[in-house]
Amino acid sequence: MTPQILAIALAIVLLLVVIMLLRSYVLPEKYAVLWLGASVAAIILSAWPGLLDAVAAFFGVAQSINLLFVGAFVVVLLLLMQVSLEVARTRDELRRAMQRIALELERRKERDD
Amino acid sequence: MRVLVAIPALNEEEAIGGVLGSLAAAHPLEDVVVIDDGSSDATGRIAKAAGAHVVTHPINLGVGAAMGTAFKYAVERGYDAVIQFDGDGQHRPEHLGELVAAAADADIVIGSRFADGGSFKSSAARRGVQRVIARFASGYAGTRLTDATSGFRIAGPRALRVFAAHYPVEWLGDTVESIVLATRQGLTVREIPVVMNERAGGAPSQSLFRAILHTGRILFILGLASIRSVPPQIRALQRRTQNEVAR
Repeated sequence: MTPQILAIALAIVLLLVVIMLLRSYVLPEKYAVLWLGASVAAIILSAWPGLLDAVAAFFGVAQSINLLFVGAFVVVLLLLMQVSLEVARTRDELRRAMQRIALELERRKERDD
Repeated sequence: MRVLVAIPALNEEEAIGGVLGSLAAAHPLEDVVVIDDGSSDATGRIAKAAGAHVVTHPINLGVGAAMGTAFKYAVERGYDAVIQFDGDGQHRPEHLGELVAAAADADIVIGSRFADGGSFKSSAARRGVQRVIARFASGYAGTRLTDATSGFRIAGPRALRVFAAHYPVEWLGDTVESIVLATRQGLTVREIPVVMNERAGGAPSQSLFRAILHTGRILFILGLASIRSVPPQIRALQRRTQNEVAR
C-alpha cells in the first residue's frame, strides 16, 4: 500500500507544481493543458491501479506495467518532438527579427550620414 | 482627453487604406497608430502614406503583443486613452465618439455586437458560444458583458497604465483575459452597443465541434486568468504607484 501512497503523493506534487508555475506566469497557457492533463492522468493512474490492468487486458498486454512504459515513452517522445519544433521556430523568428533590425539600423545610418 | 486609435494590422494592404480613409473623418490621423505586426505586404507603407503613425514589429507577434506595443506607445507619447480598432473594416468610425463618451464613467468600454441596439448576423452555433462566454465574462466583470471577444474597445487612463505594464499576449488572451486582469486590478468594465460590418474576407464558418472547442478554450483562459496571481510587471507598477503616493 505504501508505494501507492508515495505515487499518489508524487502525482499531487506534480499537479501543484504545474499550478504554481501557471499562477506565477512562468508556464504559458499553450502548454498548460498538456501538463495539467499529464498530472491529472498520473493522479488517476496511481490512485486507481485497476484501471491500468483493465486497459492492458483490453489490448491483450500481458504485463500491464509494460503498457504504462510504452504509453509514457510515446508521450515523452511527442513532447520532445514538440520542443524541437518550438526551438526551430524560435530560432527562425529570432533570425528574421535580427535581419530586419540590422537592415533598419543600416537605413538609419545612411540617413544620418 | 487625448485619445489614440490603435490598429493592429497583419497583411491588410487591401483594406487598410479604406479603413484609414473613413477613420480620418472621425479622428485625426495624427493620433492614429497602425501596429504593423510583421506583415509581408505593403500594409505599413500604405498606412504611412495615408498619414497614420506606423510601428512595425520585425516578426509576427500576435494581436495581444501588437496592442501591448500600442499601450506602451500611448504612455510614451502622453495619451490618456487608447481605442483598439480593426484593420479590416469591421469596426465603424462613427462609434468612436460613443466609446470616448462612455469612458467617462468606466475604465474599459467594450463595443458589443450583441447588446441591445447592436447588430450581428451569425450562425446558431456562434450565438450559442457567445452566450456561454458572455455569462462567464459577465460574472467576472460584475457587469453585463455580451461580447467579451469584441476587439472594439477603449482603455481609459487607469486601464492604460495597467495594460502598458502587462497585456496578455496569448491567443484570445488580449480580449478575454484582459477583462479578468483589469477587473482584478479594480478597474471597471462596461459595454455599449455597436453595429459592425461584415469582415472584408467573409466570416469563417464555424461547425458545432469547433464552436464547442472554441468555447472550451475561452472558458479555460477565463478560469486560468482567475486563479493566476498578479503578473510581475503589474506588481511592479503597483509598487511604483505606492511609492509615488508615499512621496
